[in-house]
Amino acid sequence: MKTLAKFLLISLFFTSCVAVKEYEKIKINDPDMKLAERNLDKYKSTFQSYREAAAGANGGKTGGGCGCN
Amino acid sequence: MKKIFINITILIISLNMVAQEDEKTEYKKRVLESTEVNLLSSYYTQDGENAAVTGGRGTEELTDFAPSINIAIPLNDDDILAIDATVSAYTSASSSNIDPFDGNEPADAFIASSGASEKDTWFGLTANYSHSSDDRNTILSGNVSFANEYDYTSFGFGGSLTKIFNQKNTELQLKANVYFDTWSPQYPIEFRSGFNLNEYAFSGEVNYAPTYTDFTSLNRNSYSLGLNFSQILSKSIQTAFMADFVYQEGLLSTPHQRVYFSDLNETRIENFRLGNDIERLPDTRTKIALGNRTNFYINQDFILRTYYRYFTDDWGTNSHTAKFELPIKLGVNYTLYPSYRYYTQTEADSFGEFNTLLSTQEFYTSDYDLAEYDAHQYGLGIKYYDPLSKFKIGGFGLKSINLDYNFYNRTTQNFSANITSIGFSFMAD
Repeated sequence: MKTLAKFLLISLFFTSCVAVKEYEKIKINDPDMKLAERNLDKYKSTFQSYREAAAGANGGKTGGGCGCN
Repeated sequence: MKKIFINITILIISLNMVAQEDEKTEYKKRVLESTEVNLLSSYYTQDGENAAVTGGRGTEELTDFAPSINIAIPLNDDDILAIDATVSAYTSASSSNIDPFDGNEPADAFIASSGASEKDTWFGLTANYSHSSDDRNTILSGNVSFANEYDYTSFGFGGSLTKIFNQKNTELQLKANVYFDTWSPQYPIEFRSGFNLNEYAFSGEVNYAPTYTDFTSLNRNSYSLGLNFSQILSKSIQTAFMADFVYQEGLLSTPHQRVYFSDLNETRIENFRLGNDIERLPDTRTKIALGNRTNFYINQDFILRTYYRYFTDDWGTNSHTAKFELPIKLGVNYTLYPSYRYYTQTEADSFGEFNTLLSTQEFYTSDYDLAEYDAHQYGLGIKYYDPLSKFKIGGFGLKSINLDYNFYNRTTQNFSANITSIGFSFMAD
């Protein structure tokens, strides 16, 4: 629970940052700046969810839907 | 779990109230201009010598071919229907040893048998519907999924709520998913009714008496709650924090994975040791995963993508994952993607190496995926991107081609894997 509280506090801290205007987002809007896995990464996430105990927090499987860990 | 859920819900409600101040109705752009189609495929191979089917010692050789199609259809200005269908056809040497006596060679944990359990096909279908508000600051989505293979069937559904605020600098997403899965257990051959040891020339303990009993409940239910928070930090840096909380209940063991007890004598047929039991894991598991993804636009040639995850569960496993990817732009049309990923985990409480478990333990497994180990993954990808490409199939124009290769290696176990994947992205004219 302590870890969760720290996580949320850090998250809230970032909302106080100065907002970047739409016309200033040329670099942020680069496709490789996307805050998500790339298309082909889903295959890697799938084999990792079978071969590793950890899952989740990456946009992929969190558990369930497969006979994996 | 319930407490966490309530806390997160309160946080989302309060942030929603703050967000209202920044929301203005702007020019309404179509969420998705036209239908997008992605044709993807991967070829995966692995090898190792700690197969869980044979109690932690045996071949882990496996190949998997997985084509996939992903279609995103704009239903109107605000709504998108996305469908993903994947087929995964695999051949597994360790699975073939569920029955090691149906092959042409002497039964051996390090030699694949050639029976029916050697191959299987997994099929998965997911449909996702999303709706964006007029100001594009709220996105609601729902999904259903179905997956099936010979010994496992899954039905799942879920949804998410995304709020974008602070001049589209901040994004908060709450998501929830449930899966109702069912095993059709394929127990190791020596535990099945009809197996008669006296029909084989065996050696070792004459009074072979496994402690095995069938599982009485075959269901596995999974409930997950996720919270994602992303923030633009500057004109060239953005970050996201992800948290997933998962509760699973039911049959969490894999029914065809043998264990060998060190306090029982062994019985062998040919070169194969008969199992003393199958793995027995607790029937509940709570997992927490906390992650961060931060991307840096270094200059017009380089972008740095970083990822870190901490994972813990109540089975005694803790893990850290770190990944770095450095997209390198090679002119207008090409991008290179070198990457490195490090993974480390502690072993689950119930894990024991081959032939070290005791028959008096409550829970036990020799699945080396739950052992303590470190793993390194090295990757290289290339993307060809040409939005003006004249290459067309039907009414769809090719927009990009991606090719990726990754090598995965465990340093503390003799296990390695290779995965090659390719993807073609098309967009309707």
